[in-house]
Amino acid sequence: MIHNRLCSGLKVMLVVLVFSGLLEDAKGITLVEKLYINRDSMEMVTGDKLPYLVFNRSTNFEQQNAVLELAVGDTLDLWIINTDTATHGFQIKSIMGTSLSIPAGDSVHLVQEFSNEGVYIYHDPQQYPYNLYLGLGGMIYVKNHLHERFYWNMKEHASNWNTTLVNGGTVSLNNYKPDYFTINGNSHPDINADSTARIEGNVGDTLILCIANTGRGIHSIHFHGYHAEILYSSKHSHHVGRSKDTFPIYPMETLELRLVPDKPGEYPVHDHNLVAISANSIYPNGMFSTILIAP
Amino acid sequence: MKNIIILALLLSLCCCKEVRAQIVNQLLFSKTNGVYAMWDGTLVKTMGYSTTLSANIDLPSPTLVYNQGDSVKLTLWNKSQGAPHTIHLHGLDVDQQNDGVPQLSFTVHHDEKKDYHFVAPHAGTYIYHCHVVSTVHVQGGMYGMIIVRPTNGSTTQTWDNGYTYDQDMAWMMSEVDTTWHHDTIINHTHDTSQTTHTLPTNYTPQYFLVNGKSEQQLSGAGLAVNANVNEKIYLRLANIGYYGNRIVLPSALNTKIISSDGRPLPNLEQSDTVMLFPGERYGLLLEATGAITDSIQIEYFDLNTQAIQNTQNVPVQISGTVAVAELSNEQPSISCSVWPNPANTQVHLNVALLQSELLNGELLDINGRMVHQFSTFLAKGNTSLTLPITELGTGVYFLKLKTSAEQLVKKLIVEH
Ligand SMILES: [Cu+2]
Ligand SMILES: [Cu+2]
Repeated sequence: MIHNRLCSGLKVMLVVLVFSGLLEDAKGITLVEKLYINRDSMEMVTGDKLPYLVFNRSTNFEQQNAVLELAVGDTLDLWIINTDTATHGFQIKSIMGTSLSIPAGDSVHLVQEFSNEGVYIYHDPQQYPYNLYLGLGGMIYVKNHLHERFYWNMKEHASNWNTTLVNGGTVSLNNYKPDYFTINGNSHPDINADSTARIEGNVGDTLILCIANTGRGIHSIHFHGYHAEILYSSKHSHHVGRSKDTFPIYPMETLELRLVPDKPGEYPVHDHNLVAISANSIYPNGMFSTILIAP
Repeated sequence: MKNIIILALLLSLCCCKEVRAQIVNQLLFSKTNGVYAMWDGTLVKTMGYSTTLSANIDLPSPTLVYNQGDSVKLTLWNKSQGAPHTIHLHGLDVDQQNDGVPQLSFTVHHDEKKDYHFVAPHAGTYIYHCHVVSTVHVQGGMYGMIIVRPTNGSTTQTWDNGYTYDQDMAWMMSEVDTTWHHDTIINHTHDTSQTTHTLPTNYTPQYFLVNGKSEQQLSGAGLAVNANVNEKIYLRLANIGYYGNRIVLPSALNTKIISSDGRPLPNLEQSDTVMLFPGERYGLLLEATGAITDSIQIEYFDLNTQAIQNTQNVPVQISGTVAVAELSNEQPSISCSVWPNPANTQVHLNVALLQSELLNGELLDINGRMVHQFSTFLAKGNTSLTLPITELGTGVYFLKLKTSAEQLVKKLIVEH
């Protein structure tokens, strides 16, 4: 399983290398992507359903936002199609100076080159922060390596907000009490079933974890078993190079971590705000996953 | 001359370079019958760890101190009458078997006694806590600090070849929400076949703690910062609560952030503000160049709204050396003469103590690196000590002698 993923990762990179070799300026490839703004409801680990909006690669509603991945120097050629009945928008935080507005049923086109390694958040800035709160926030990973990588889009949900907001009601930003906590739209135990989130590897491997916090709360991710190194931090560039076991992440900020496991085993990675290890007050159905390292 | 002690120092002259790894056996009891008095007298039921069966459950639980490289056998004896408990060694990166997570490692049921085996890693600041229904058991009080000292056990050096300091302090921040401390929660029933557990619906703490203390208690011994000008303080910070902490230090303390999560920072950071999130630790080096009376402010903020819910203040008193001498009519607790000085093969110390007590000595080179360390229990009055110095190179050294009350620094010149 791990082996397969690694192989496919290598194939993709080989294609990239061939392509970039063919290009005169060797600047990188152009990645063509389409994102659809879909509205439906998200099924929580408890079976409850919350009204939700997401950026998916097709018109099929999936409760996790698409991860767009490029290499440094690549160009993103992106269409964003609004399948919803309301106006939405699109922006890439700290990359695009202005946002694009997308009327209901309409689409926009965007071409953007990425010259720096890092994890970037794309989102809907309309009705800020409510469209984002309702789910419209995903990540773009700009890599400069071939290592195995994993992606965590962390978000909390105050279930009463979703219903209120889609019915045109108002909520108080100062009184935010989330009761669900998800990584890529899943809570424990479902996070481990998501191969893009569940960190798996072998002793000595270099494993990369890309984290985006598209929620409103601060999360403090703790690794059992290992320290990891900060490769990129959107908020604190001076934290790069630090070796830590606990990584706070602010809303709308991102981190890139490197883990080189020195021993085998299965170890938790979880939010150390232990209240976030719950779903509607049921422990441990929140931001809790495990790392699995083979000898 | 009452006593003549020839310290057998020849062997230990190079002790700082030696690996003094020890085998450490330690026993902790886990109990759920704690009754802890908050600063305003409110009694709160707690769970926690204690080193003896009869001891009261303190908040936090006792600090565990090891030297880097120690082989530790930490035994947990569960005397809680109810739920199983574990010890998670937060940040020590122990193997899966000893990680203290139910299902992935062993749990310790009532009246069971099981051992955690690990080697204390990098010198630094860590946490231990229970990982059974962790949201409830950690809020319940099952947490404490772990301090790993350098390989040679130094209490004046941050880590092997690290920074030197004169005193260290350790603060663990947490909160208490009394609704999480009802008897039905602290002594909750536990069905091992049950994989989930219902938590209280809200976390809105009423008490904001530093080492279990708040408000006027923070002026008490062990918490308030008392030092002299140019004295270096190593302040260890840990957050085991469910809120964020923003620590604001007086700028006159010239704070340097030097470590986090048990590792030196690749580049030290100079800042009067330190943010600390659940599970994080930071190490700060404080050194005031002038006398100050101020406080270190600790804000506790909600992680969902970032709204500050409470602020605690720990007093800081930095005395100028002149002021202390003028104000104090008391006799010094220690005095010492050194001869010959310059010295060639050995140096004699005539130490006078006001009371019988443990004397800690350190010999530092001109760069502040420790080249020798000793501790010895001395009787009240005068004692002669002999320090062989044949192994030391020619140069200037500083002999630092510490009693419980104060420390004395003597300059020593070695000439061969
Ligand atoms: Cu416990
Ligand atoms: Cu922990």
